[in-house]
Amino acid sequence: MFSDKPTSQVVAEQSKYSIQLDEQAGQLKAKLLKDIHRSIYVYRIDCGGCNGCEIEIFAALTPLFDVERFGIKVVSSPRHADVLVYTGSMTRSMRVPAMRAYHAAPDPKICVAYGACGSSGGIFHDLYCVWGGADKFIPIDIYIPGCPPTPAVTIYGFAMALGILGQKLKATHHVQGEDEHVLPHYPQVPLALRVDIEREARRMAGYLYGKQIAGKFLELFENDPKHVEQNVQSYLDQQDDPRLTEIMNRLTQNYRTHQGEK
Amino acid sequence: MLKLIKEVLRVGEATLPYPFEPIEQMPGFRGKPHHDPEQCIACAACAIACPPNALNITTDLDQGFQTWSLFMGRCIYCGRCEEVCPTGAITLSPDFELAVMNKQDLYERADYKLASCRICGTYFAPIKEIEYAAALLRQSGMSADALADTLSLLEVCPECKRKNDVPKMVSLFQKEGSDVQR
Repeated sequence: MFSDKPTSQVVAEQSKYSIQLDEQAGQLKAKLLKDIHRSIYVYRIDCGGCNGCEIEIFAALTPLFDVERFGIKVVSSPRHADVLVYTGSMTRSMRVPAMRAYHAAPDPKICVAYGACGSSGGIFHDLYCVWGGADKFIPIDIYIPGCPPTPAVTIYGFAMALGILGQKLKATHHVQGEDEHVLPHYPQVPLALRVDIEREARRMAGYLYGKQIAGKFLELFENDPKHVEQNVQSYLDQQDDPRLTEIMNRLTQNYRTHQGEK
Repeated sequence: MLKLIKEVLRVGEATLPYPFEPIEQMPGFRGKPHHDPEQCIACAACAIACPPNALNITTDLDQGFQTWSLFMGRCIYCGRCEEVCPTGAITLSPDFELAVMNKQDLYERADYKLASCRICGTYFAPIKEIEYAAALLRQSGMSADALADTLSLLEVCPECKRKNDVPKMVSLFQKEGSDVQR
């Protein structure tokens, strides 16, 4: 974890490079964002990404998602563009090309920070050669987070720019109330059995799915400690998944061992 | 030509009607981490596991607050937070409509109160985390004596624990008659 101080200093240093919109450009841009009554031409600038975002942008152009039905077209020069899409974590050497593309596009233009890297630097945010997001010096209008954003996320972001859909995500701030208590899950499961089941499931299925499978097994135990094996069997019959069956059977064996020890 | 029209009619429309109708996500789709602030104990396991530091915990020792925060602009949807969460407060939801106009809307915050040490009074750990630890110990089947002993130590800060440990150890050694000087 990093303290806030160094980051804010870095931001303050970078702000002297950032592009300031003059009043007229700002007004035009606000008008453009409010109602675009035309097709929008998109130019995308890869500022040091992993190409995942590019693949998803092109996936959004396929017939399955087909963004061209909204008049969105990817163009090959910033001089034709209404929208600039910045992908990638903005490496040091891509700063000047990113600025050149920005200045080459005619005003008013909409700038989009695309993907986790474009929005904030993503997983590369604290690398020495990374500026950490396009918004460090380019006036960004829309942030599309995602790693990478799927075609549906991309369409949602552009639908927001076109005014078809509204913004759903809002900042939240929870403050701990007076009467907040958290109790452990599965109070009826003996701790030794629980640890054993969770370990075995993670060993078999990996980190996230192991937890989910162990959670299912423990839930079945918690609901009816007397008929665990029957319930597991009927659950497996429902799911009809040989991999799940293999793992669950191992967990049942562990459960039997524990019962034997008792 | 007629053949082509026939073929087109047979295949039908492939394009999804997405922004006008909701889209169906595959099972196992990893979207926005959903945080249940009331179930969270502010233990910071997720902040340690988070590869891009989208999850952060900051501690304010003067005011006695621990702030959990999630910055959606950095999340890579890996699910490590869900994996490590001991109380199941974080789960990856299928929610994917996360684009925003204002960067501040990408932040999610939750404040938790810190407990103050029974001996010196400094803030040291979230109240909910201590309560959860006590509940776990109770569940683990400890004997009543050992449990009472451990619970009394839970509300003491690490610094005071260390200070208390030395005289305790000395008395233990003296009781057993071993050579403390060695």
